[in-house]
Amino acid sequence: MGIMNAGVMGTGVEVAAVRVEGLSRRYGAVRALDDVSLDLPRGITGLLGPNGAGKTTLMTVLATINEPDAGRVSVFGLDPAQSAERVEIRRRLGYLPQELSFHRHFTVAGFLDYVAILKEIVDRRARAEEVARVLAAVGLQNMAGRRVRSLSGGMRQRLGLAQALLGGPELLVLDEPTAGLDPEQRLRFRELLSGLPGDPVVLLSTHQVDDISAICPYVVVLLGGRVRFAGTPADLAAAAADHVWTADERDPGAFLSWRGGDNRWRHLGNQLPPSAEVVPPTAEEGYLLLSHSLDKPETAVPRWRPARRRTR
Amino acid sequence: MTGSFSGTGGPAGSGAGHVSEDALFAYAAGSVDEILAWSVEAHVAACPDCRLALSVHVDQGRLARNRSVVLVRAATGEHHRARRLLAHIGVPDHLVALMAATPSLRRSWLLSVVGVLAVVSGESVLAQHLSNSPQALGGPSWGVLAPFILIGPLMVLAGVAAAFLPVFDPTHQLAAAAPFSGLGLLLARSLSALVAALVPVVAAAFVVPGPAWLPAALLLPCFAVCGVALAVVTVVGPMPAALLAGAVWVLPVAVVGVWHSVAAVVQWPAQVSWAVVLMVAVIVVASRRSRFELGWAS
Repeated sequence: MGIMNAGVMGTGVEVAAVRVEGLSRRYGAVRALDDVSLDLPRGITGLLGPNGAGKTTLMTVLATINEPDAGRVSVFGLDPAQSAERVEIRRRLGYLPQELSFHRHFTVAGFLDYVAILKEIVDRRARAEEVARVLAAVGLQNMAGRRVRSLSGGMRQRLGLAQALLGGPELLVLDEPTAGLDPEQRLRFRELLSGLPGDPVVLLSTHQVDDISAICPYVVVLLGGRVRFAGTPADLAAAAADHVWTADERDPGAFLSWRGGDNRWRHLGNQLPPSAEVVPPTAEEGYLLLSHSLDKPETAVPRWRPARRRTR
Repeated sequence: MTGSFSGTGGPAGSGAGHVSEDALFAYAAGSVDEILAWSVEAHVAACPDCRLALSVHVDQGRLARNRSVVLVRAATGEHHRARRLLAHIGVPDHLVALMAATPSLRRSWLLSVVGVLAVVSGESVLAQHLSNSPQALGGPSWGVLAPFILIGPLMVLAGVAAAFLPVFDPTHQLAAAAPFSGLGLLLARSLSALVAALVPVVAAAFVVPGPAWLPAALLLPCFAVCGVALAVVTVVGPMPAALLAGAVWVLPVAVVGVWHSVAAVVQWPAQVSWAVVLMVAVIVVASRRSRFELGWAS
């Protein structure tokens, strides 16, 4: 699909659930976001990029807590620059910051109760039911009375996710939610995200390309504050087509080489040797190729944008 | 009623009769009237066979959800004594829960405030006792009061500043991204921190060797410097705002203390000035209240 049905305009054209146009944000001399334009459809969109690429800045702008220097943002047709519309966006928002800290004296349920109040769930009974629901969703239903300070890192990460799910948000902005999770927890996290009711818009930032390949229909690569790729994980893998090969020996011409479990060298590079045995690339290799080509525009892949679909 | 019971057909729990399957099903589904529910409960409490029969009809999922809700309510601290007391005097439950996250309302913080005040007021009492200076016309020796007068309002300001400084709120990003009014949250926290810090300051003012009107005279300056902090935070960052508000108190106390007497900052001509400062601060906060909305996370 790639296109959502909220915010239908008079033109009869369905618009993206979340639209970012020409977004720029500087911190002193550092340009964190540089003319970023994006459409986010319903479903999960993965956001990839190295540290300092601008991922967190983009997410804080979408979470309405960071004001851009230039550009426009539209969330379900609402403009966060307008005070009343910004509050309305926040009513539909679930946000997990990259480094979520807690009031350590809180119990797990007490912390979620606090966030539920911030999300305007004022009725005591409704709040308790909602807290119980999200605790069950992240598998912490037996931890309600535990102090936050006694939780392991993985449990805190799940607690952070639980607070983002309070109120059943339509837009979920998750900044590196899988950091610190063990493999089983990551799989459970994938299960949870892909089973969210209501088909929300999810923007998921991570360094784990396999998480994105597993659950994200769409992926955006941010490099140096600019969108360098937007498409499907398969498209991202295809960006490295004819750039990955295997050989018995290490190839000094490749810019990245590693020995696989079959004892053969796997190479990623721009110049294939004549005898190269080309192999199908992975999305991770597509991402690595993009990262490597940051200063070499000639190797960049074309930008992708979901096609607009006309309604009747 | 008796139709709901099989066997002897007697009333619930009166003999060998048991609750009918239909009644147990209806009770488990929550669709019986109050009187029948009481009858069923009275009987089931005394009859193991009917308890067993009832358990078959209970929706286990619903039971588990209810259990979770009960556990959550127990874990949120809503039955805490202080919380119940505040609820009893009419403070909305959700505001009490928000205040619970205010660092300057934690026991450790309040104990620190009490400790600092105990030191400065004890020093004043001791200095007065040792100097044994004659007090003109029964008035106090203002020199020994200077540390207390300087520190007291700063303690109140520190409590309020801790209520809005992001560095003291580990979840400030969540608060900024939430729809709950930023100004509402700030005022709820600041007012509660203000009251919590004022109590020991005013209590200490009764202990130090000052005039009887000193406790009342400290109120307006405390309100004014806290108001300045809230007003200035709409223009500059939270930390500079707290420092600037502190300077609004420290500078007059220092200047007046050196050239004249610290009494001047709490006597009536100064009270007029503090009232004006407070009014201006309230106007600034009201007119720039939208500045509290975006948050300070950026």
